[in-house]
Amino acid sequence: MPSMHEELLRLKVVAGEELTAISSPDELEPFRVKYLGRKGEFTLVLRQLGQAPPEERPRLGQLANEIKQELESAFAEREALLAGAETGANQANIDLTLPGRSLPFGKLHPVTQVMEAVCAIFEGLGFAVAEGPDVEVDFYNFEALNIPPHHPARAMHDTFYISDSLLLRTHTSPMQARIMEQEQPPLRVIAPGKVYRCDSDITHTPMFHQVEGFLVDRHISFADLKGVLSVFITRMFAENTPIRFRPSFFPFTEPSAEVDIGCVICGGKGCRVCKHTGWLEILGAGMIDPEVFKKVGYDPEEYSGFAFGLGIERIAMLKYGITDIRLFYENDLRFLSQF
Amino acid sequence: MKFTLNWLREYIDTDLEPTQIADHLTMLGLEVDACLPCYPELTGVVVARIAAVQPHPNADKLVLCDVDAGQERLRVVCGAPNARAGLVTALALPGAVLPGGFTIKPAKIRGEQSSGMLCSAKELGITEDQTGIMELASDLKPGQTLGLALGLVDTMIEVDLTPNRPDCASVLGIAREVGGVIGKRIKPPVEASPVLTNENLPFRVEVESAADCPRYAARLVKNVKIGPSPWWLQQRLLAVGLRPISNIVDITNFVMLEYGQPLHAFDFRKLAGGRIVVRRARSGETLATLDGSEHQLDHEMLMICDAEKPVALAGIMGGANSEVDAETCDILLESACFTAIGIRRTAGRLKLSTEASYRFERGVDPQGVPMAMERAVQLMVTLAGGEIVAGGVDYQDGVAAPAPIILRGKRTCALLGMELSLERIAAALTGIDIEVEKIAADTLRVTPPSFRVDLEREIDLIEEVARIVGYNLLPTTLPLVPMIFSEPDTLRELRKKVAETFVALGFYEAINYSFVSPQQHDLLGLAAGDSRRETVHLLNPLAEDQSVLRTTLLPGLLENLRRNVNHQSHDVRLFEIGKVFHPQGNEQPEEPFRLAAVFSGRRHPKAPVFHAGETLVDIFDVKGVMTQVLDRLRLGAAITCQAGVAGEELPFAEPGSVLAVRGGEKILGWCGAFNQKTLKAFALKQQAFFVDLDLAALSGFSPQAKTFAVLPRFPFVKWDLALIVPEGVAAGEMLAAIHGCGEKLIERAEIFDVFQGKNIEAGKKSIAISITYRALERTLDDETVGKIQQKIIEMLISSFNGQLREA
Repeated sequence: MPSMHEELLRLKVVAGEELTAISSPDELEPFRVKYLGRKGEFTLVLRQLGQAPPEERPRLGQLANEIKQELESAFAEREALLAGAETGANQANIDLTLPGRSLPFGKLHPVTQVMEAVCAIFEGLGFAVAEGPDVEVDFYNFEALNIPPHHPARAMHDTFYISDSLLLRTHTSPMQARIMEQEQPPLRVIAPGKVYRCDSDITHTPMFHQVEGFLVDRHISFADLKGVLSVFITRMFAENTPIRFRPSFFPFTEPSAEVDIGCVICGGKGCRVCKHTGWLEILGAGMIDPEVFKKVGYDPEEYSGFAFGLGIERIAMLKYGITDIRLFYENDLRFLSQF
Repeated sequence: MKFTLNWLREYIDTDLEPTQIADHLTMLGLEVDACLPCYPELTGVVVARIAAVQPHPNADKLVLCDVDAGQERLRVVCGAPNARAGLVTALALPGAVLPGGFTIKPAKIRGEQSSGMLCSAKELGITEDQTGIMELASDLKPGQTLGLALGLVDTMIEVDLTPNRPDCASVLGIAREVGGVIGKRIKPPVEASPVLTNENLPFRVEVESAADCPRYAARLVKNVKIGPSPWWLQQRLLAVGLRPISNIVDITNFVMLEYGQPLHAFDFRKLAGGRIVVRRARSGETLATLDGSEHQLDHEMLMICDAEKPVALAGIMGGANSEVDAETCDILLESACFTAIGIRRTAGRLKLSTEASYRFERGVDPQGVPMAMERAVQLMVTLAGGEIVAGGVDYQDGVAAPAPIILRGKRTCALLGMELSLERIAAALTGIDIEVEKIAADTLRVTPPSFRVDLEREIDLIEEVARIVGYNLLPTTLPLVPMIFSEPDTLRELRKKVAETFVALGFYEAINYSFVSPQQHDLLGLAAGDSRRETVHLLNPLAEDQSVLRTTLLPGLLENLRRNVNHQSHDVRLFEIGKVFHPQGNEQPEEPFRLAAVFSGRRHPKAPVFHAGETLVDIFDVKGVMTQVLDRLRLGAAITCQAGVAGEELPFAEPGSVLAVRGGEKILGWCGAFNQKTLKAFALKQQAFFVDLDLAALSGFSPQAKTFAVLPRFPFVKWDLALIVPEGVAAGEMLAAIHGCGEKLIERAEIFDVFQGKNIEAGKKSIAISITYRALERTLDDETVGKIQQKIIEMLISSFNGQLREA
């Protein structure tokens, strides 16, 4: 019977030759099982280590381990070599420059995308969403908002009428009056929806989308209005967006404000879009007028609040650089697929 | 409201740059829309005097001018009819660039040297006058830059006024606002007006109702000489876009812009009886106004009349019958205050909007009436050589003193969210001519000036304080508010989920106008009595094709489909979620949300043809989409999508290619193929499919709860069978029969082949079904499965008149 030492050296030579002869990856696994596996030949030899004289055991153990490691790394090398050869062979047959096989995937309309983004910011601030009727009663669209008949502010709203008392809402602000009439403060609500004005050109369509919002509670101040709207703007545009509040007029708010952001097109240097002012108007806002509170039975001495409204198309146009508002309603796939 | 910087500086002492003034105004709530130089730069254009003129040897219409340009004498060829010796005019020297980009160069004109060009006002962009070269004042020094000589360095500022600030429809009003910011007071052109007595007047004024006309002042100026206004006055008007007409008319316009008080000049000799009567029109009366149109008057319209007839629409426009013309010599000047609501009503009804009506509609200062009158009268004396007739009328029965308003300091601070001392508050108000008086530790009594018709309540004053302090200086805080939460809106959730699913299935979202053409119902082929023909009509549509509110979303999507195909996008999947409108008498219409989709083109639009072929979508693609959407909504067996009938309500659908979505007995919507007639009506040449669903009704069904089912541990076995059945048998019913036979080990049955033709008898078809069997607690053996399979085969053979197809 050959000594254990000889047996190890024989195994080394035989296994080495056999490994070199392997030419296909399929032969690798049988080789591994035969020599390196749990029941493989090296394991069998090592099991006999206990029968060797005690003084030789360390030397034999070390030799066995060295040979096994050598063989393992040679095996790994062989495996890598064969794998490389195989992929190489296949690669030659596949033209990966050919296009993929995509499944169709649509997109939400850009107006919906922006509307949802606006709503999400306010919902994050605890505002509830309420939607009202598109065909509104004159009272809620105008009178409840402190716009009596013949008021010059009505000239700001080119109204589509359905009858003497019904019209297509010119803003989503009627929801202010409708909700306050039904509920008591505290209130935080946004009202997204379609609005209508008889106007049609490159910057006006007879239908467009607005989000109206309001917050009513005790001790609400103009500073709070500035705070909430500033949070909205930095979320909607960018953290460092320049913001300015300037006085304006709406019959249903006082003090009223218009809110401008630094022009997103020219960065405030002045361009055609911002009419060379460096600023773009994006929001109308103000403290809810005491008359509006009185009409819904709130005591303006007890409650205060602010309201705001913004045009979705305008924000989408600014964000995406769209130059003609009418594109929103042509539903041309070449347009819709861009957003 | 337009004005110029030089004009503004007549009333307020400021050396601020135009852009600084514009910024101040915008931040005061007087939004500046434009801030532009009034005149082109005109570098190289100088004053010149024509020293001598001689004929051009080679041209009849040209002359050779010997021009004194200060430093030098030049020879200039000129074709203007008014070129004459002694004329002081404008000369563009070689190198000058005229408006429009034309550069002047020395040139030979018909053989004669010309070193520059004598210019008309139009060529220089100063006025529209092109009758000849400019005729300048003879005392101007040749060689002087023209811009400096004529004061052509100015900036036009246009303010977009909000309806609450009629006081700023005047240059003085704007100046007052600027003064409030820079801490200066304005200097009005007249400081006081005389008290007018009406003794021995050659005219009379009667006002019928102080409610219509709170104040009416009139004076007579005799022997005016009608002629052009001086250059400075023309320049003011031109700069703000008004055309100079004559000295008298220009004066009334100028003073209106200066004071915000509309004035009207009547030719006194045309007023019958030397009388002015301010009264409502009588029925049947008419008036031809200055713009040449004839108006039918009604008893709600306030008129200025003479002893016999209307001579002006009060506060809106004068009548042609009393117009000032070249022959006029005596002027009756009106400065009055009319009630805003009456002017709005009349101007609205007659569809007239003038500078005067704009101001009266918003409110004119009753105390400004005599000042503007005095200013205009003085100008008529100076500029038209008129003689003032002593005395005049100043009717003012309707003028009420502005009521004082109480302003609380704490209230102001609380509402603005900023600590402000009462002194700071008072100073902000007094800076813009609002009188205040401290009547308690925290209280001011404020008397608004008469020109601020918008100040009536405490809140109006709080806004003034905020404005003058500056919105940008007010703090920015977040409100401390209680947690509140709202009820979930199931319809809104449903809409979002449906939209997401359609997007995931390759559909783009469309949004169409809510108003449509009533003709679209004909294109869809809706029956005469179809409820979708009952529409809500707009009283004032922009166009006939936007005149009714939609009752169905399909026509809009069909139009979108056509548009896309016309633009060479043939693979179209569009959906829309939106309201339709059903009238309910005089009440607000019902506005249910619907969902619709159109589907056309290739099945695999995103995959290259060599991968996926060019198969077009068919009815089963639509059914698949519908099924997936319903699955996604987890509505379970409550909602079904099964073969339906293209009945009266679906005149646009292809019979036999319609599926109905039912919830219980109720039909919630359909999907299917459009018929050829409809496609043709919408000019479509390719097959198209639709989905049309009542979302509002669908939201009434609640989704099934999500419950976990244990994953099976034992394998399934699949056995196939093929039956030959009459071709009228519905495969879906065979599946339903298998599922409904009560065998618990049947997990699922699927159809994997439907075949007609070779080896199959005519009138029959072969249906191949694969049945999956599984037991939860063991692996099934062939014997058990075989028994059930045999039972199923027998059941199918007897129920569907079938025979087993041998392999």
